[in-house]
Amino acid sequence: MPSKEANGPLTPAVLHILLALSTRERHGYGIMKQVQADSQRKVKMGPGTLYGSLSRMIKAGLIRESDRRIDPEMDDERRVYYKITGLGQMALAAELERYREVVEVAEHKRLSPEAFAHGI
Amino acid sequence: MEYEPSIRRYRFWYAKLLRLYSKPFRERFGEGIEQTFNDLLRECAEEDRGLFGCALGIFVETSEGILRENLANIIAQNKRLIGIIFAAALILLVPLVAMQFTEEVNWDLFDFAFMGALLLGVGLTYELAARRAGTMAYRAAAGVALAAAFLLVWLNRAVGTEEDNSAGLMFLGVLVAGIGAIIARFRPKGMARALLVTALAQVLVAVMAMIAWQQYVEVLILNAFFVALWIGSALLFRRAARQHG
Repeated sequence: MPSKEANGPLTPAVLHILLALSTRERHGYGIMKQVQADSQRKVKMGPGTLYGSLSRMIKAGLIRESDRRIDPEMDDERRVYYKITGLGQMALAAELERYREVVEVAEHKRLSPEAFAHGI
Repeated sequence: MEYEPSIRRYRFWYAKLLRLYSKPFRERFGEGIEQTFNDLLRECAEEDRGLFGCALGIFVETSEGILRENLANIIAQNKRLIGIIFAAALILLVPLVAMQFTEEVNWDLFDFAFMGALLLGVGLTYELAARRAGTMAYRAAAGVALAAAFLLVWLNRAVGTEEDNSAGLMFLGVLVAGIGAIIARFRPKGMARALLVTALAQVLVAVMAMIAWQQYVEVLILNAFFVALWIGSALLFRRAARQHG
């Protein structure tokens, strides 16, 4: 059953996982690498955080396990792949919209990271 | 690969660590987590980073995850139980705070222990009843009966400690009769009968109290209130019995 997690705002871990799965299905290690790449290595997720988040996201209906099991790029070991669901796509879109609105407000107020470099 | 034996050894211990996850979690994600651990260690080895440091870091991070997951499970499974304990503690704070401002409230340790046990007893009994029955009528009936029992014991204790009050003990007698009936039959039909009997006993107590005290209005109002609660609960149990079939 979709939970409050699906209605956002999303936690940073959930947001990054949804972003990583937005373009293709990935297995656990693949998600970790993509999150690292998307965040320019600023976000590092260990297995404890990753699989705890995956469990909650499956319960919330944001992602689901895929039928795919083999990663030809890595080896022939069986792997569990995860894919984003329709609800997950909607939650991601809503979260990105929230971010856009915040950035818009900041731009309207002519705020930028540089504006705070020397204090207000 | 020269690092494979080391990875196998770390993986062996990592599998042991994963046993600390709950069984459903482990069955669903255990294989995936182990595989990810394997991938991360291979990455470390290929990048010439110390295998021991990498493994240790993942062990620590996973242990945190296990702790978080198990804590969330405990809270989710016992949400209402934890709520009852918090509510009881919160109610006990009221006299504790009042004691700091007025001398009219003067509870000793026994008072707090008694009220705490009473609140927890009522809360836990309700929780048991709620878990046992699925119907709203049953839950409401149990709630009303427990509220009446709580008020009776509380009144009895409040009056009984101030002065010797044998009439107060009669109120307790009614309660014991009710509890005895509840223990005898926990099914809705039996409960309805038991609470009707309790209401009748309450009427008898009222008559006896009026004769003994010669205070008609006060005794009548107080007992009518409790009789209404017992009968209300009995009717709700009867409705639950009909729904139960």
